[in-house]
Amino acid sequence: MIETRGLSKTYGRGVYALRDLTLTIDKGEFVFLTGPSGAGKTTLLRLLLVQERPTEGEVTVGGRNLARLTAAEVQAYRRSVGFVFQDFKLVPRKTVFENVSFVMRVLGTPVEVQRRRTYQVLKQVGLQHRLQAYPAELSGGEQQRVAIARALANEPSLILADEPTGNLDPDLSVEIMTLFRDINASGTTVLVATHDRSLITLTGRRVVHLEHGQAGAPA
Amino acid sequence: MRALRYALDEALVSLGRAGRTALMATATIGVAFFVLGGFLLVLTNLQRVVEDWASSAELSIYLHDETDDEARDRMAERLAGDPAVAGVEFISKAQARGRFQRDFPELADVAEALEENPFPASFEVRLRDGGADDAGAIAAAMEGDPSVADVRYDRRWLSRLSALVAGVRVAGLAVALVLVLGAALTVMAVVRLSLQARRDEIDIMLLVGAPYAYLRGPFIVEGTLQGGLGATLALVVLWGGHMAAGAGLGLTWQALAGTGAIAFLSAWQALSLILAGLVVGALAGMVASRGAR
Ligand SMILES: Nc1ncnc2c1ncn2[C@@H]1O[C@H](COP(=O)(O)OP(=O)(O)OP(=O)(O)O)[C@@H](O)[C@H]1O
Ligand SMILES: [Mg+2]
Repeated sequence: MIETRGLSKTYGRGVYALRDLTLTIDKGEFVFLTGPSGAGKTTLLRLLLVQERPTEGEVTVGGRNLARLTAAEVQAYRRSVGFVFQDFKLVPRKTVFENVSFVMRVLGTPVEVQRRRTYQVLKQVGLQHRLQAYPAELSGGEQQRVAIARALANEPSLILADEPTGNLDPDLSVEIMTLFRDINASGTTVLVATHDRSLITLTGRRVVHLEHGQAGAPA
Repeated sequence: MRALRYALDEALVSLGRAGRTALMATATIGVAFFVLGGFLLVLTNLQRVVEDWASSAELSIYLHDETDDEARDRMAERLAGDPAVAGVEFISKAQARGRFQRDFPELADVAEALEENPFPASFEVRLRDGGADDAGAIAAAMEGDPSVADVRYDRRWLSRLSALVAGVRVAGLAVALVLVLGAALTVMAVVRLSLQARRDEIDIMLLVGAPYAYLRGPFIVEGTLQGGLGATLALVVLWGGHMAAGAGLGLTWQALAGTGAIAFLSAWQALSLILAGLVVGALAGMVASRGAR
């Protein structure tokens, strides 16, 4: 599903956020990405979402070389990826419902299906009663759960999550991880960057440990 | 269709929020199109008058006193046979003097006292509608005739007037174009502002994979709406002005120009103006929304 070969990313001169990273993640895998702060976890996820372009090497996802996609193809590719970022990235002007259902709306999903599916994913994160709220009216944890619901809504083939439980209490964190596991069980590839060792232990899946932009043995 | 619907919804919301700035842009477009429409209105009416006058042009052909009746009849026949000619009237020397005495009663005695009648005989030729262009040809032919002393026709100053109208048209269009360009720039500035106000939102839309039609569409629609609204507003104001002017100046104009009431722009012209407003707005929106990526 995901393949990187000699992947490097430098910001400015000589600072490697990622250095010569070669990594394969199979379709349907659930992988944790760990490593100290500044190791390059977010950088890898940004490359996978084509927010950044590699300095060297290549990334392919589902056979697509991300560096070769046209602007329109990048958009189509992104619609097949669900992401949860540290800073949620919710549109403040849109309600919870609109935020979660946007991609379905773009794809022309029938309105009833949009409603049903949005309700369903919001229920999974325990926010079905806040459909008409605006992001500013929600707590940090609630916003994070809306972002998770949005990532799930479109039944993507790949989910990228950067500290998806950073703002959640332990119980909720476990629940969210269970959610990701269920999604993964239905065939979606999941890549989660996190510091939370307890979650990793609990979930018991493959761990990729990054250090100074390079993959090392899990500590 | 879906993208269009979305764009329309979003544009309306955005326009609602932009409020005063959007109104300013619409007003600027309105002013530009008011000037453009005003020029069109004035030009159309001037053009009509010039054409009217040109088509009712007359030709006066003065004859030498020595011209005999035979030569005179031949000329009358020739003129009457010309397809551009609507009618020919012969004014004899005596009739010419009579007319002068009628027009200037104080000088009637002077004219009577003269030993010899100084007034030449003439043909007064009325041209058919649209025959104004032939006036020159007829005049040239007649000037070559030995019995003809002089040919007068009002064609010369009419063509000068036509040239003047053409000049006004060029100048007017140039001014209007500059104004329309200014209006387009204003719309661009407003669209760019609302784009900047929503920069974060656009970045998020990009990340979730919104197609470019969804990203740029709202801004293009926003520009289009401003342009169309501005042009329509201009037409409405122009129409109001036309009605007011018609009430105040209508009779003077009719007396002066000798044509009917001041005409408003034709439906075709009005529609073209609105269409132009829409196009200018759309283009401005398109250019401004290129930043949405
Ligand atoms: N936009 C940027 N400009 C310059 N340097 C950057 C930029 N983004 C990241 N870096 C640098 O790249 C390196 C990797 O950063 P990255 O955000 O990928 O780390 P991370 O593993 O996600 O860390 P954390 O666990 O704290 O989130 C860091 O040294 C960081 O300073
Ligand atoms: Mg990070």
